[in-house]
Amino acid sequence: MAKQIITLTVNGDEHEIAVAPYQTLLEVLRDDLALTGTKRGCTAGSCGVCTVNGEKGEAVLSCCALAVEWDGRSLTTVEGVQEGNDLHPVQQKFLEYGAVQCGFCTPGLIMSAKALLDVNTSPSEKDINEAMAGAICRCTGHIKVKIAIREAAKVLREREGGVADGQA
Amino acid sequence: MQLPEFEYLRPKTLAEGLAALAEHGPDATIMSGGSDLLINMKFRLDTPKYLVSFNAVQEMKAIEPQADGGLSLGAGCTLTQLAESEVLAEKYPALHQALFSVGSKHVRNAATLGGNICLDTRCWYTNQSENWRETRDGCFKTDNELCHVIKSADKCHAINSSDSAPVLIVLDASVTLASVNGTRDVPVSEFYNNDGVDHTVMRQGEILVGVTLPPPKGRSVYAKLAQRDGLDFASGTFAAGIVGSNEKPESVCLVMGSVGPEPKVLADSAAIIKASGLNEESIETAALAARASLGEVTNLFTPSGYKRRLVKALVKDALGELRDLQV
Ligand SMILES: Cc1cc2nc3c(=O)[nH]c(=O)nc-3n(C[C@H](O)[C@H](O)[C@H](O)COP(=O)(O)OP(=O)(O)OC[C@H]3O[C@@H](n4cnc5c(N)ncnc54)[C@H](O)[C@@H]3O)c2cc1C
Ligand code: FES
Ligand code: FES
Repeated sequence: MAKQIITLTVNGDEHEIAVAPYQTLLEVLRDDLALTGTKRGCTAGSCGVCTVNGEKGEAVLSCCALAVEWDGRSLTTVEGVQEGNDLHPVQQKFLEYGAVQCGFCTPGLIMSAKALLDVNTSPSEKDINEAMAGAICRCTGHIKVKIAIREAAKVLREREGGVADGQA
Repeated sequence: MQLPEFEYLRPKTLAEGLAALAEHGPDATIMSGGSDLLINMKFRLDTPKYLVSFNAVQEMKAIEPQADGGLSLGAGCTLTQLAESEVLAEKYPALHQALFSVGSKHVRNAATLGGNICLDTRCWYTNQSENWRETRDGCFKTDNELCHVIKSADKCHAINSSDSAPVLIVLDASVTLASVNGTRDVPVSEFYNNDGVDHTVMRQGEILVGVTLPPPKGRSVYAKLAQRDGLDFASGTFAAGIVGSNEKPESVCLVMGSVGPEPKVLADSAAIIKASGLNEESIETAALAARASLGEVTNLFTPSGYKRRLVKALVKDALGELRDLQV
Protein backbone atom coordinates (compact mmCIF):
# COMPACT_ATOMS: atom_id res chain seq x y z
CA MET A 1 0.00 0.00 0.00
CA ALA A 2 1.50 3.25 -1.16
CA LYS A 3 2.47 5.71 1.49
CA GLN A 4 1.53 9.32 1.11
CA ILE A 5 3.52 12.37 2.17
CA ILE A 6 1.59 14.55 4.58
CA THR A 7 2.43 17.85 6.22
CA LEU A 8 1.52 17.87 9.85
CA THR A 9 2.23 20.70 12.26
CA VAL A 10 2.65 19.44 15.81
CA ASN A 11 3.23 21.92 18.62
CA GLY A 12 4.26 24.52 16.04
CA ASP A 13 6.80 22.28 14.29
CA GLU A 14 6.04 21.37 10.71
CA HIS A 15 6.75 17.76 9.76
CA GLU A 16 6.70 16.10 6.37
CA ILE A 17 6.00 12.44 6.98
CA ALA A 18 5.30 9.45 4.76
CA VAL A 19 2.28 7.69 6.19
CA ALA A 20 0.20 4.72 5.14
CA PRO A 21 -3.56 5.43 5.00
CA TYR A 22 -4.25 2.93 7.76
CA GLN A 23 -1.93 4.60 10.26
CA THR A 24 -3.80 6.41 13.01
CA LEU A 25 -2.80 9.84 14.19
CA LEU A 26 -1.79 8.21 17.47
CA GLU A 27 0.58 5.79 15.73
CA VAL A 28 2.19 8.57 13.73
CA LEU A 29 2.67 10.78 16.79
CA ARG A 30 4.17 8.02 18.89
CA ASP A 31 5.96 5.80 16.39
CA ASP A 32 7.05 8.24 13.68
CA LEU A 33 7.50 11.47 15.63
CA ALA A 34 8.52 9.84 18.94
CA LEU A 35 6.05 12.05 20.79
CA THR A 36 5.17 9.42 23.35
CA GLY A 37 3.46 11.80 25.76
CA THR A 38 0.22 10.93 24.01
CA LYS A 39 -0.73 7.51 25.37
CA ARG A 40 -2.12 4.40 23.74
CA GLY A 41 -4.93 2.87 25.79
CA CYS A 42 -8.07 1.17 24.53
CA THR A 43 -7.47 2.30 20.92
CA ALA A 44 -11.26 2.21 20.60
CA GLY A 45 -12.46 5.67 21.55
CA SER A 46 -13.53 4.90 25.07
CA CYS A 47 -10.75 6.00 27.42
CA GLY A 48 -9.41 9.33 26.17
CA VAL A 49 -5.71 8.81 27.00
CA CYS A 50 -4.88 9.51 23.37
CA THR A 51 -6.50 12.98 23.41
CA VAL A 52 -4.73 15.78 21.54
CA ASN A 53 -6.04 19.24 20.67
CA GLY A 54 -7.00 20.15 17.12
CA GLU A 55 -6.77 23.46 15.30
CA LYS A 56 -9.51 25.08 17.34
CA GLY A 57 -8.19 23.58 20.55
CA GLU A 58 -10.88 20.89 20.51
CA ALA A 59 -10.36 17.44 22.02
CA VAL A 60 -9.46 14.88 19.35
CA LEU A 61 -9.15 11.14 19.96
CA SER A 62 -5.97 10.38 18.06
CA CYS A 63 -6.62 6.61 18.16
CA CYS A 64 -9.78 7.11 16.10
CA ALA A 65 -8.37 9.52 13.51
CA LEU A 66 -6.50 8.68 10.33
CA ALA A 67 -3.21 10.54 10.00
CA VAL A 68 -3.88 11.17 6.30
CA GLU A 69 -6.98 13.15 7.26
CA TRP A 70 -4.67 15.55 9.11
CA ASP A 71 -2.64 16.51 6.06
CA GLY A 72 -2.02 20.27 6.14
CA ARG A 73 -3.46 20.69 9.60
CA SER A 74 -1.97 21.44 13.00
CA LEU A 75 -2.43 20.04 16.45
CA THR A 76 -1.09 20.26 19.98
CA THR A 77 0.04 17.33 22.11
CA VAL A 78 0.85 17.33 25.81
CA GLU A 79 4.49 18.07 24.89
CA GLY A 80 3.37 21.43 23.50
CA VAL A 81 1.30 22.65 26.41
CA GLN A 82 4.09 24.09 28.54
CA GLU A 83 4.54 27.88 28.34
CA GLY A 84 8.26 28.47 27.86
CA ASN A 85 9.93 27.17 31.01
CA ASP A 86 6.73 27.23 33.01
CA LEU A 87 4.04 24.64 33.21
CA HIS A 88 0.62 25.57 31.87
CA PRO A 89 -1.79 26.33 34.75
CA VAL A 90 -3.62 23.04 34.14
CA GLN A 91 -0.38 21.09 34.47
CA GLN A 92 0.70 23.15 37.47
CA LYS A 93 -2.57 22.59 39.31
CA PHE A 94 -2.62 18.86 38.54
CA LEU A 95 0.76 18.75 40.29
CA GLU A 96 -0.21 20.95 43.22
CA TYR A 97 -3.45 19.15 43.94
CA GLY A 98 -2.12 15.62 43.42
CA ALA A 99 -4.48 14.91 40.56
CA VAL A 100 -2.00 12.30 39.35
CA GLN A 101 -1.38 8.79 40.61
CA CYS A 102 0.23 6.42 38.10
CA GLY A 103 0.11 9.22 35.52
CA PHE A 104 -0.98 7.15 32.55
CA CYS A 105 -4.19 9.10 31.97
CA THR A 106 -2.63 12.47 32.77
CA PRO A 107 -1.73 13.62 29.24
CA GLY A 108 -5.24 12.81 28.04
CA LEU A 109 -6.84 14.51 31.04
CA ILE A 110 -4.65 17.60 30.61
CA MET A 111 -5.53 17.86 26.92
CA SER A 112 -9.24 17.34 27.66
CA ALA A 113 -9.19 19.96 30.41
CA LYS A 114 -7.27 22.37 28.21
CA ALA A 115 -9.82 21.95 25.42
CA LEU A 116 -12.45 23.10 27.90
CA LEU A 117 -10.52 25.96 29.53
CA ASP A 118 -9.36 27.36 26.18
CA VAL A 119 -12.95 28.31 25.43
CA ASN A 120 -14.43 28.57 28.91
CA THR A 121 -12.52 29.87 31.92
CA SER A 122 -15.62 29.86 34.14
CA PRO A 123 -16.79 26.28 33.72
CA SER A 124 -19.70 25.02 35.80
CA GLU A 125 -19.66 21.57 37.39
CA LYS A 126 -21.73 20.37 34.43
CA ASP A 127 -19.31 21.88 31.90
CA ILE A 128 -16.40 20.09 33.57
CA ASN A 129 -18.23 16.76 33.69
CA GLU A 130 -19.20 17.08 30.04
CA ALA A 131 -15.70 17.95 28.90
CA MET A 132 -14.05 15.21 30.94
CA ALA A 133 -16.56 12.35 30.44
CA GLY A 134 -14.52 10.97 27.56
CA ALA A 135 -11.23 10.84 29.48
CA ILE A 136 -11.02 8.25 32.17
CA CYS A 137 -8.55 7.91 35.01
CA ARG A 138 -8.07 4.38 36.26
CA CYS A 139 -6.54 5.44 39.59
CA THR A 140 -7.89 8.68 41.04
CA GLY A 141 -11.52 9.32 41.80
CA HIS A 142 -11.63 12.30 39.42
CA ILE A 143 -12.25 14.51 42.48
CA LYS A 144 -8.75 15.95 42.62
CA VAL A 145 -8.79 16.21 38.86
CA LYS A 146 -11.84 18.42 39.06
CA ILE A 147 -10.35 20.51 41.86
CA ALA A 148 -7.24 21.03 39.75
CA ILE A 149 -9.34 22.11 36.78
CA ARG A 150 -11.28 24.63 38.87
CA GLU A 151 -8.04 26.00 40.29
CA ALA A 152 -6.50 26.27 36.83
CA ALA A 153 -9.62 28.10 35.67
CA LYS A 154 -9.08 30.63 38.46
CA VAL A 155 -5.53 31.30 37.30
CA LEU A 156 -6.70 31.72 33.73
CA ARG A 157 -9.47 34.12 34.80
CA GLU A 158 -6.96 36.18 36.76
CA ARG A 159 -4.86 36.41 33.63
CA GLU A 160 -7.84 37.67 31.70
CA GLY A 161 -8.15 40.34 34.37
CA GLY A 162 -11.43 38.95 35.64
CA VAL A 163 -12.44 38.11 39.20
CA ALA A 164 -10.48 35.24 40.70
CA ASP A 165 -13.28 33.63 42.66
CA GLY A 166 -16.02 33.30 40.10
CA GLN A 167 -18.52 30.50 39.84
CA ALA A 168 -16.17 27.57 39.30
CA MET B 1 -5.41 -2.68 17.92
CA GLN B 2 -4.31 -1.69 14.45
CA LEU B 3 -6.32 -0.97 11.36
CA PRO B 4 -6.35 -3.41 8.45
CA GLU B 5 -4.87 -2.17 5.18
CA PHE B 6 -7.03 -0.26 2.69
CA GLU B 7 -6.86 2.28 -0.12
CA TYR B 8 -7.89 5.74 0.97
CA LEU B 9 -9.99 8.02 -1.22
CA ARG B 10 -10.83 11.57 -0.30
CA PRO B 11 -13.29 13.10 -2.78
CA LYS B 12 -13.60 16.90 -2.63
CA THR B 13 -17.12 17.07 -3.99
CA LEU B 14 -20.20 14.93 -3.59
CA ALA B 15 -20.20 14.13 -7.33
CA GLU B 16 -16.63 12.85 -7.09
CA GLY B 17 -17.57 10.77 -4.05
CA LEU B 18 -20.62 9.25 -5.71
CA ALA B 19 -18.50 8.32 -8.72
CA ALA B 20 -16.01 6.58 -6.42
CA LEU B 21 -18.83 4.65 -4.72
CA ALA B 22 -20.23 3.63 -8.11
CA GLU B 23 -16.83 2.57 -9.42
CA HIS B 24 -15.83 0.41 -6.44
CA GLY B 25 -19.27 -1.02 -5.59
CA PRO B 26 -19.17 -3.48 -2.68
CA ASP B 27 -15.43 -2.92 -2.22
CA ALA B 28 -16.03 0.65 -1.02
CA THR B 29 -17.08 1.77 2.46
CA ILE B 30 -18.20 5.28 3.35
CA MET B 31 -16.39 6.97 6.21
CA SER B 32 -17.56 10.12 7.95
CA GLY B 33 -16.24 10.82 11.46
CA GLY B 34 -14.94 7.27 11.68
CA SER B 35 -15.80 7.12 15.37
CA ASP B 36 -17.62 3.84 14.89
CA LEU B 37 -16.30 2.56 11.59
CA LEU B 38 -12.60 2.70 12.46
CA ILE B 39 -13.23 0.71 15.62
CA ASN B 40 -15.20 -1.92 13.71
CA MET B 41 -12.30 -2.06 11.26
CA LYS B 42 -9.87 -2.61 14.10
CA PHE B 43 -12.13 -5.45 15.21
CA ARG B 44 -11.98 -6.73 11.58
CA LEU B 45 -15.76 -6.51 11.35
CA ASP B 46 -15.25 -4.25 8.34
CA THR B 47 -12.30 -4.74 6.01
CA PRO B 48 -12.98 -2.44 3.07
CA LYS B 49 -10.70 -2.42 0.06
CA TYR B 50 -11.48 1.27 -0.52
CA LEU B 51 -12.28 3.63 2.28
CA VAL B 52 -14.06 6.68 0.90
CA SER B 53 -13.81 9.59 3.33
CA PHE B 54 -16.48 12.26 2.86
CA ASN B 55 -14.89 14.64 5.36
CA ALA B 56 -13.65 17.04 2.68
CA VAL B 57 -17.10 17.37 1.07
CA GLN B 58 -18.21 20.82 2.24
CA GLU B 59 -21.64 20.64 0.61
CA MET B 60 -22.72 18.06 3.24
CA LYS B 61 -21.96 20.24 6.27
CA ALA B 62 -24.64 22.92 6.30
CA ILE B 63 -27.47 23.65 8.74
CA GLU B 64 -30.13 25.44 6.69
CA PRO B 65 -33.46 26.83 7.91
CA GLN B 66 -36.16 26.17 5.30
CA ALA B 67 -38.74 28.59 3.93
CA ASP B 68 -41.60 26.48 5.36
CA GLY B 69 -40.16 26.76 8.89
CA GLY B 70 -38.39 23.40 8.79
CA LEU B 71 -34.67 22.75 8.95
CA SER B 72 -32.27 20.84 6.75
CA LEU B 73 -29.13 19.29 8.22
CA GLY B 74 -26.17 18.07 6.19
CA ALA B 75 -25.12 14.50 6.95
CA GLY B 76 -21.55 15.71 7.42
CA CYS B 77 -22.39 18.08 10.30
CA THR B 78 -20.52 16.98 13.40
CA LEU B 79 -22.53 16.33 16.52
CA THR B 80 -20.63 19.15 18.24
CA GLN B 81 -21.62 21.52 15.43
CA LEU B 82 -25.25 20.45 15.90
CA ALA B 83 -25.05 20.63 19.69
CA GLU B 84 -23.88 24.23 19.31
CA SER B 85 -26.66 25.13 16.87
CA GLU B 86 -29.10 27.51 18.51
CA VAL B 87 -31.79 26.99 15.92
CA LEU B 88 -31.70 23.22 16.47
CA ALA B 89 -31.79 23.60 20.26
CA GLU B 90 -34.66 26.04 20.08
CA LYS B 91 -36.88 24.38 17.49
CA TYR B 92 -36.10 20.69 18.00
CA PRO B 93 -34.96 20.34 21.62
CA ALA B 94 -35.57 16.57 21.76
CA LEU B 95 -33.27 15.95 18.77
CA HIS B 96 -30.73 18.36 20.18
CA GLN B 97 -30.76 16.46 23.46
CA ALA B 98 -30.43 13.09 21.71
CA LEU B 99 -27.40 14.21 19.70
CA PHE B 100 -25.84 15.79 22.76
CA SER B 101 -26.18 12.48 24.61
CA VAL B 102 -23.95 10.60 22.15
CA GLY B 103 -20.69 9.31 23.62
CA SER B 104 -18.52 12.11 24.98
CA LYS B 105 -17.42 15.54 23.83
CA HIS B 106 -14.36 13.82 22.34
CA VAL B 107 -16.56 11.47 20.31
CA ARG B 108 -19.02 14.19 19.26
CA ASN B 109 -16.19 16.36 17.93
CA ALA B 110 -15.55 13.70 15.27
CA ALA B 111 -18.94 11.98 14.96
CA THR B 112 -21.38 13.12 12.28
CA LEU B 113 -25.15 13.06 11.92
CA GLY B 114 -24.98 10.81 8.84
CA GLY B 115 -22.76 8.33 10.68
CA ASN B 116 -25.13 8.34 13.63
CA ILE B 117 -28.16 7.60 11.47
CA CYS B 118 -26.32 4.87 9.55
CA LEU B 119 -24.55 3.53 12.63
CA ASP B 120 -24.06 -0.19 12.25
CA THR B 121 -26.00 -2.44 14.62
CA ARG B 122 -24.11 -3.76 17.62
CA CYS B 123 -24.03 -6.99 19.55
CA TRP B 124 -22.22 -8.02 22.67
CA TYR B 125 -20.88 -11.19 21.04
CA THR B 126 -19.71 -9.62 17.83
CA ASN B 127 -18.49 -6.10 18.57
CA GLN B 128 -15.32 -7.49 20.11
CA SER B 129 -11.78 -8.06 18.99
CA GLU B 130 -11.01 -10.79 16.48
CA ASN B 131 -9.31 -12.86 19.18
CA TRP B 132 -12.38 -12.73 21.35
CA ARG B 133 -14.65 -13.73 18.48
CA GLU B 134 -12.42 -16.67 17.59
CA THR B 135 -13.39 -18.39 20.82
CA ARG B 136 -16.79 -19.28 19.38
CA ASP B 137 -18.45 -19.88 16.03
CA GLY B 138 -19.16 -16.96 13.75
CA CYS B 139 -22.65 -15.51 13.41
CA PHE B 140 -24.92 -13.86 10.86
CA LYS B 141 -22.81 -10.73 11.09
CA THR B 142 -19.55 -12.51 10.32
CA ASP B 143 -19.43 -15.79 8.42
CA ASN B 144 -22.13 -18.06 9.77
CA GLU B 145 -25.90 -18.65 9.91
CA LEU B 146 -26.26 -18.40 13.63
CA CYS B 147 -27.27 -15.94 16.32
CA HIS B 148 -25.62 -16.34 19.71
CA VAL B 149 -28.32 -14.34 21.42
CA ILE B 150 -31.44 -16.07 20.19
CA LYS B 151 -30.35 -19.53 19.19
CA SER B 152 -33.45 -20.28 17.14
CA ALA B 153 -33.22 -17.00 15.23
CA ASP B 154 -33.18 -16.97 11.45
CA LYS B 155 -31.64 -13.50 11.28
CA CYS B 156 -29.33 -11.16 13.13
CA HIS B 157 -30.73 -9.46 16.22
CA ALA B 158 -27.94 -6.93 16.77
CA ILE B 159 -29.12 -3.66 18.25
CA ASN B 160 -29.62 -0.31 16.54
CA SER B 161 -28.23 2.10 19.12
CA SER B 162 -28.43 5.31 17.12
CA ASP B 163 -29.59 8.07 19.45
CA SER B 164 -30.93 10.19 16.63
CA ALA B 165 -33.11 7.53 14.96
CA PRO B 166 -36.08 7.38 17.40
CA VAL B 167 -36.40 11.18 17.63
CA LEU B 168 -36.14 11.64 13.88
CA ILE B 169 -39.10 9.30 13.48
CA VAL B 170 -41.12 11.23 16.07
CA LEU B 171 -40.27 14.49 14.28
CA ASP B 172 -41.45 13.01 10.97
CA ALA B 173 -38.03 13.64 9.41
CA SER B 174 -36.81 12.24 6.12
CA VAL B 175 -33.37 11.49 4.79
CA THR B 176 -32.04 12.24 1.33
CA LEU B 177 -30.06 9.45 -0.29
CA ALA B 178 -27.86 10.17 -3.30
CA SER B 179 -26.10 8.00 -5.88
CA VAL B 180 -24.83 8.52 -9.41
CA ASN B 181 -28.37 7.71 -10.52
CA GLY B 182 -29.94 10.62 -8.66
CA THR B 183 -31.46 11.26 -5.26
CA ARG B 184 -34.47 9.98 -3.34
CA ASP B 185 -36.10 10.98 -0.07
CA VAL B 186 -37.05 8.33 2.46
CA PRO B 187 -39.00 8.98 5.67
CA VAL B 188 -36.84 7.91 8.63
CA SER B 189 -39.77 5.72 9.71
CA GLU B 190 -39.13 3.62 6.57
CA PHE B 191 -35.34 3.80 6.59
CA TYR B 192 -34.57 0.87 8.88
CA ASN B 193 -35.03 -2.90 8.44
CA ASN B 194 -35.67 -5.29 11.28
CA ASP B 195 -32.47 -7.17 10.46
CA GLY B 196 -29.13 -6.55 12.17
CA VAL B 197 -27.08 -7.36 9.07
CA ASP B 198 -29.00 -5.43 6.43
CA HIS B 199 -30.30 -2.76 8.74
CA THR B 200 -31.15 0.10 6.37
CA VAL B 201 -32.87 0.43 2.99
CA MET B 202 -29.78 2.07 1.49
CA ARG B 203 -28.67 0.54 -1.79
CA GLN B 204 -25.21 -0.13 -3.09
CA GLY B 205 -23.59 3.13 -4.19
CA GLU B 206 -25.91 5.34 -2.15
CA ILE B 207 -24.93 7.78 0.55
CA LEU B 208 -27.07 9.68 3.03
CA VAL B 209 -26.48 13.35 2.23
CA GLY B 210 -28.90 15.12 4.54
CA VAL B 211 -31.90 15.19 6.80
CA THR B 212 -35.03 17.31 6.39
CA LEU B 213 -37.00 18.24 9.46
CA PRO B 214 -40.53 19.51 8.80
CA PRO B 215 -41.63 22.57 10.82
CA PRO B 216 -41.89 21.58 14.50
CA LYS B 217 -45.34 20.48 15.62
CA GLY B 218 -46.54 20.02 19.19
CA ARG B 219 -44.19 18.82 21.93
CA SER B 220 -41.58 16.09 22.04
CA VAL B 221 -39.16 14.56 24.54
CA TYR B 222 -36.23 12.15 24.47
CA ALA B 223 -35.11 9.88 27.27
CA LYS B 224 -32.07 7.63 27.44
CA LEU B 225 -30.86 5.16 30.01
CA ALA B 226 -27.27 3.98 29.94
CA GLN B 227 -24.93 2.49 32.49
CA ARG B 228 -23.09 5.81 32.80
CA ASP B 229 -24.38 9.23 31.80
CA GLY B 230 -21.36 9.80 29.61
CA LEU B 231 -19.70 7.53 27.04
CA ASP B 232 -22.00 4.52 27.08
CA PHE B 233 -24.32 3.34 24.37
CA ALA B 234 -27.89 3.29 25.64
CA SER B 235 -29.51 0.33 27.36
CA GLY B 236 -32.77 1.79 26.12
CA THR B 237 -34.03 5.04 24.62
CA PHE B 238 -37.48 6.48 24.11
CA ALA B 239 -38.75 9.39 22.03
CA ALA B 240 -42.28 10.70 22.32
CA GLY B 241 -44.21 13.38 20.48
CA ILE B 242 -47.71 14.74 20.92
CA VAL B 243 -49.65 17.25 18.85
CA GLY B 244 -52.63 18.92 20.52
CA SER B 245 -53.59 19.15 24.16
CA ASN B 246 -53.04 16.53 26.86
CA GLU B 247 -56.81 16.04 27.02
CA LYS B 248 -57.48 15.72 23.29
CA PRO B 249 -54.32 14.81 21.39
CA GLU B 250 -54.51 15.12 17.61
CA SER B 251 -51.64 12.74 17.08
CA VAL B 252 -49.20 10.75 19.20
CA CYS B 253 -45.97 9.08 18.13
CA LEU B 254 -43.92 6.92 20.48
CA VAL B 255 -40.65 5.22 19.47
CA MET B 256 -38.31 3.01 21.46
CA GLY B 257 -34.63 2.74 20.53
CA SER B 258 -31.82 0.29 21.38
CA VAL B 259 -34.22 -2.63 21.77
CA GLY B 260 -33.72 -4.37 18.44
CA PRO B 261 -32.25 -3.99 14.94
CA GLU B 262 -34.62 -1.11 14.16
CA PRO B 263 -36.28 1.63 16.21
CA LYS B 264 -39.58 0.23 17.45
CA VAL B 265 -42.71 2.32 16.87
CA LEU B 266 -45.07 1.68 19.80
CA ALA B 267 -48.42 1.82 17.98
CA ASP B 268 -50.48 0.25 20.80
CA SER B 269 -49.17 2.64 23.44
CA ALA B 270 -49.71 5.62 21.15
CA ALA B 271 -53.31 4.53 20.46
CA ILE B 272 -53.99 4.38 24.21
CA ILE B 273 -52.76 7.96 24.70
CA LYS B 274 -54.59 9.21 21.64
CA ALA B 275 -57.88 7.67 22.82
CA SER B 276 -57.73 8.64 26.50
CA GLY B 277 -55.44 11.67 26.52
CA LEU B 278 -52.16 12.03 28.40
CA ASN B 279 -52.88 11.47 32.09
CA GLU B 280 -51.59 9.40 34.96
CA GLU B 281 -53.79 6.43 34.22
CA SER B 282 -53.18 6.33 30.47
CA ILE B 283 -49.45 6.71 31.02
CA GLU B 284 -49.42 3.62 33.23
CA THR B 285 -51.45 1.62 30.69
CA ALA B 286 -49.29 2.83 27.80
CA ALA B 287 -46.12 1.87 29.67
CA LEU B 288 -47.47 -1.63 30.29
CA ALA B 289 -48.47 -1.92 26.64
CA ALA B 290 -44.98 -0.84 25.61
CA ARG B 291 -43.50 -3.58 27.70
CA ALA B 292 -45.91 -6.16 26.28
CA SER B 293 -45.45 -5.10 22.66
CA LEU B 294 -41.71 -5.62 22.73
CA GLY B 295 -42.07 -9.40 22.85
CA GLU B 296 -38.64 -10.97 22.85
CA VAL B 297 -36.52 -8.07 23.97
CA THR B 298 -33.30 -8.66 22.21
CA ASN B 299 -30.63 -6.75 23.93
CA LEU B 300 -27.75 -8.70 25.06
CA PHE B 301 -25.99 -5.93 26.93
CA THR B 302 -28.50 -6.43 29.75
CA PRO B 303 -30.69 -9.43 30.59
CA SER B 304 -34.12 -9.31 28.95
CA GLY B 305 -35.96 -9.22 32.30
CA TYR B 306 -34.09 -6.04 33.17
CA LYS B 307 -34.82 -4.64 29.77
CA ARG B 308 -38.55 -5.13 30.12
CA ARG B 309 -38.61 -3.29 33.42
CA LEU B 310 -36.43 -0.59 31.95
CA VAL B 311 -38.80 -0.11 29.02
CA LYS B 312 -41.75 0.39 31.32
CA ALA B 313 -39.90 2.84 33.57
CA LEU B 314 -38.49 4.82 30.65
CA VAL B 315 -41.88 5.16 28.94
CA LYS B 316 -43.59 6.12 32.16
CA ASP B 317 -41.06 8.79 33.14
CA ALA B 318 -40.80 10.32 29.69
CA LEU B 319 -44.55 10.49 29.17
CA GLY B 320 -44.89 12.19 32.53
CA GLU B 321 -42.32 14.70 31.37
CA LEU B 322 -44.15 15.18 28.07
CA ARG B 323 -47.44 15.79 29.88
CA ASP B 324 -45.89 18.58 31.96
CA LEU B 325 -43.99 20.15 29.07
CA GLN B 326 -45.15 23.60 28.01
CA VAL B 327 -44.57 24.89 24.50
C1 LIG C 1 -16.85 5.73 23.24
C2 LIG C 1 -17.95 5.81 22.23
C3 LIG C 1 -19.25 6.06 22.66
C4 LIG C 1 -20.29 6.15 21.74
N1 LIG C 1 -21.54 6.41 22.21
C5 LIG C 1 -22.58 6.51 21.35
C6 LIG C 1 -23.88 6.80 21.82
O1 LIG C 1 -24.10 7.03 23.01
N2 LIG C 1 -24.90 6.86 20.92
C7 LIG C 1 -24.70 6.65 19.58
O2 LIG C 1 -25.66 6.73 18.82
N3 LIG C 1 -23.47 6.38 19.11
C8 LIG C 1 -22.41 6.30 19.95
N4 LIG C 1 -21.15 6.02 19.47
C9 LIG C 1 -20.99 5.64 18.06
C10 LIG C 1 -20.61 6.74 17.09
O3 LIG C 1 -19.57 7.52 17.62
C11 LIG C 1 -21.76 7.68 16.74
O4 LIG C 1 -22.91 6.95 16.42
C12 LIG C 1 -21.41 8.61 15.58
O5 LIG C 1 -22.46 9.52 15.38
C13 LIG C 1 -21.09 7.91 14.30
O6 LIG C 1 -20.79 8.92 13.34
P1 LIG C 1 -19.43 8.91 12.47
O7 LIG C 1 -19.50 10.09 11.60
O8 LIG C 1 -18.25 8.80 13.34
O9 LIG C 1 -19.67 7.58 11.68
P2 LIG C 1 -18.60 6.60 10.97
O10 LIG C 1 -17.88 5.83 12.03
O11 LIG C 1 -17.80 7.33 9.97
O12 LIG C 1 -19.62 5.64 10.24
C14 LIG C 1 -20.54 4.81 10.90
C15 LIG C 1 -21.28 3.94 9.87
O13 LIG C 1 -22.12 4.72 9.04
C16 LIG C 1 -21.72 4.66 7.67
N5 LIG C 1 -21.83 6.05 7.19
C17 LIG C 1 -21.20 7.14 7.72
N6 LIG C 1 -21.63 8.27 7.11
C18 LIG C 1 -22.53 7.88 6.18
C19 LIG C 1 -23.34 8.57 5.23
N7 LIG C 1 -23.29 9.91 5.12
N8 LIG C 1 -24.16 7.85 4.43
C20 LIG C 1 -24.22 6.51 4.52
N9 LIG C 1 -23.50 5.79 5.41
C21 LIG C 1 -22.66 6.47 6.22
C22 LIG C 1 -20.32 4.12 7.68
O14 LIG C 1 -20.04 3.39 6.49
C23 LIG C 1 -20.36 3.22 8.91
O15 LIG C 1 -20.95 1.99 8.60
C24 LIG C 1 -20.05 5.95 20.37
C25 LIG C 1 -18.75 5.70 19.94
C26 LIG C 1 -17.70 5.63 20.84
C27 LIG C 1 -16.32 5.39 20.35
S1 FES D 1 -6.71 5.13 23.30
FE1 FES D 1 -7.94 6.57 22.27
S2 FES D 1 -9.69 6.59 23.48
FE2 FES D 1 -8.57 5.00 24.44
S1 FES E 1 -3.45 8.41 37.45
FE1 FES E 1 -3.43 6.33 36.91
S2 FES E 1 -4.83 6.29 35.29
FE2 FES E 1 -5.12 8.25 36.08
